[in-house]
Amino acid sequence: MCTLKRWPRPAPREHAAVSAPANAPWTAGAAEAIGVNWLLGAIAPHGMLGRRARTRERAFRRGDEAAARRQLAGVERVARERDAAWLEASRARLAALTDPLEPLARARSGGVLSDSDLFELSSFAEALTEAGIQSLLASSEHTFVPALATELQRLLAPGRTSAGGFYLDDAFDEELARARVQSARCEAAYDAARSHLAQRVAHYAGVEHVREGEFVLLRERVVGPLPAEIRVLREAPTYLLCELALDEDSQAALAAREDALERVAEREEAVRLRLSLAIAEMGPVLEAACNALGELELHIARALFAQRYGCVVPEVLEASSARFEAARCLPLAETLERHGRAYTPISLELTGMGIVTGPNMGGKTAALRTLGFLTACVALGVPVPADSAALPLVDEIAWLGGANETPQDGLLSSFGAEIVELRELLSHRAGRALLLIDEFARTTSPREGRALLVALLECLSERDAFGLAATHLAGLSREARVAHYAIGGRGVLASRGATPLPLETALARIAQEMDYRLVQLPEGAAPASDALALADALGLDTALVARAREIL
Amino acid sequence: MVHGVGEALLARARAAGCVSIAVIGTSKNAGKSVVTAELCEALRRAQVPFGLCSIGRDGEATDAIDRAPKPRFYLRSGALIATAATLLPRSPALEIVGHTGETSALGPIVLGAVRAPGYFEIAGPPQADALRRVARLLGARTPFVLIDGAVDRIAALRDGSDANVVAVGAAGAPAIGRALDDVAALVGRLGLQPADPEREAVRVAGALGAVAAAEFARAGERRQIVVRDGTRLTFGGRTFLELAARLDLRCERRLRPIACTVAPSGGGRFFEPLTFARAVAQRTGLPTYDVYAQTLAEAGAA
Repeated sequence: MCTLKRWPRPAPREHAAVSAPANAPWTAGAAEAIGVNWLLGAIAPHGMLGRRARTRERAFRRGDEAAARRQLAGVERVARERDAAWLEASRARLAALTDPLEPLARARSGGVLSDSDLFELSSFAEALTEAGIQSLLASSEHTFVPALATELQRLLAPGRTSAGGFYLDDAFDEELARARVQSARCEAAYDAARSHLAQRVAHYAGVEHVREGEFVLLRERVVGPLPAEIRVLREAPTYLLCELALDEDSQAALAAREDALERVAEREEAVRLRLSLAIAEMGPVLEAACNALGELELHIARALFAQRYGCVVPEVLEASSARFEAARCLPLAETLERHGRAYTPISLELTGMGIVTGPNMGGKTAALRTLGFLTACVALGVPVPADSAALPLVDEIAWLGGANETPQDGLLSSFGAEIVELRELLSHRAGRALLLIDEFARTTSPREGRALLVALLECLSERDAFGLAATHLAGLSREARVAHYAIGGRGVLASRGATPLPLETALARIAQEMDYRLVQLPEGAAPASDALALADALGLDTALVARAREIL
Repeated sequence: MVHGVGEALLARARAAGCVSIAVIGTSKNAGKSVVTAELCEALRRAQVPFGLCSIGRDGEATDAIDRAPKPRFYLRSGALIATAATLLPRSPALEIVGHTGETSALGPIVLGAVRAPGYFEIAGPPQADALRRVARLLGARTPFVLIDGAVDRIAALRDGSDANVVAVGAAGAPAIGRALDDVAALVGRLGLQPADPEREAVRVAGALGAVAAAEFARAGERRQIVVRDGTRLTFGGRTFLELAARLDLRCERRLRPIACTVAPSGGGRFFEPLTFARAVAQRTGLPTYDVYAQTLAEAGAA
């Protein structure tokens, strides 16, 4: 296991939501609760090729352990060997690459590429031969790409202009060059012939120029018979709508020009066809290069993530257990940071199912999220934010209760919605699953809720699931025969006095007194609770809190 | 007689300190593209390289909506166009200079330098902001930029420093009176006077619609009503003329209408060319050109 060097963290930012791999193991509810969208955004590609590569990516699931280990080790190696500046620069270069796959697809299906397509491809080839990309490719396994880039660049080089554009240059084809020379001659001959006629008409009409196409001749300017060069299209009382009537010489020049233009068009299309065929032949290698470049961007994005958040390569387990030290749920840590609070890293050693107890606002849900976040990292081949970790690949990550309560348009109570969701989970689940259960059945009678939770834990243990259930209910671990973890606990919260504190101050005070660490308790230990002290700290009427203490 | 309508319009634009002209029209087939083609020819004759772009699609052989024949632009070396890659002709080949990063309804818009004479279709972005970015790209590479406008897209003139040429044609109005109202209203919107800082004003953020303006008029509002510029007034034609007569409409930033042009025939209607041009000049106070007849009418002239 290797700890990566830490890199100064950027300011917290919202990551754009990015689509997950098609075989992602998490349910929608779990994804939201454990911060999968944040994670996908944090490792999102910026370039077109990277985005294409992302759509092809598959999440690692049980059975993919060897591939996951290879990827994690590869990411770790890049993150260890390269500094962030190099990685950022490389990523920017890859992101700036144009995407030649559309024109390539057209060429491979027999299409003749347009000049715009050829511009794309020549820009792509030139970018690949740029020193930074060459250096990046040299350090990767994609050693075939530079040779391909050179071949493509050589093919399109005659069209590359000094300004970085592309033109179907004469240098592509001698016949094209000759056709263009001839066309230019014919154009000049026609211009001269037409110009001669137009000047005579302009002189007659008393105007500087006679426009191409229709023009108006005011009758007040018509003196004597109209010259033969004017054809009248329509007569009105005060004007004539006319056009230039070409004489025989002009018509011959026009016909010659049209022929010459046609010849140029033929030769231009012939050159495009030749280039398109050559590119189509390079298609499989070119496509492989695009895929490789996209994957390289994803790889670099993961390495940057690993550096930025001080991640480690986890041991990939082949059992329903997990252990980690000083792990962080990064989206939660960023949220706390935004509110001026610190996230306490969590350590855990878990086999099968376990329960988490602790005071309100003590971090039970955070423990669930951290376990889920780390498992999602491994499924995506991303090193995990922890000092050390060992996690399995799973077929499913599910979240039940808490943040995931979604009563269906009021038809179901919170409890009803939980039960429907649980029924779904149990009906289709197969393979190894991570179950994160947040205060399940807390909205029904404590006695029956407790019984349900015990039965559920027993059922999940039999199914090779692993995970955590956060609860306030006592005696569960012994009855369900699962491990019991507890949040470190809160120090004594001194009475706030008669005046309630502002909410932010109260929260800071509560956090200051809290030990958020997760510790394993011996069998039979009772869960800690300090709901009344917390209610007082949060400003509930002191008399009411005092009366509650009497009742206790 | 004028020494070329294109040359005259360019001279007026330069005199106003502008290095770009946006041609806009009161209706379809008002002659916008004919004027733009005339300006292209004038720039070519003067050997001034120029950029050409369009609001939406224009310059097609037939109108995309009513299939009426329309001029494509015959361009020669020295022209730089911004158009949809899908509209590039197979021949003559252009030099593809780069991407604009903008998209039209027909796909991505590229910059192409004309290397050999030919007919070209121009399709630009429909959004005002995107058009301004494309115009800036062209302006960075050429000394003069032409923008072929579209009907009711004067929003695209927002934040531009173009000279505006307003085209009006017989095709867009059932009678000459209606055409005159339309052009007077459009020029009136573009030519709103700047607000007087010494006088009380109601400043309107964003657009001012006909309903809100009518409400001001009904309430007898006497203060200046100030919009950013004339493109923020969303009503034209007779509505504008009536409301502008009752309200003191002002702007923070003046646009630059420099001239009008007339297309006396179109849509099966024919207005007498000289009468039409003189009436337009009289109503708008702007020099008015007839590209077909190569004439100029000026306000106050007989």
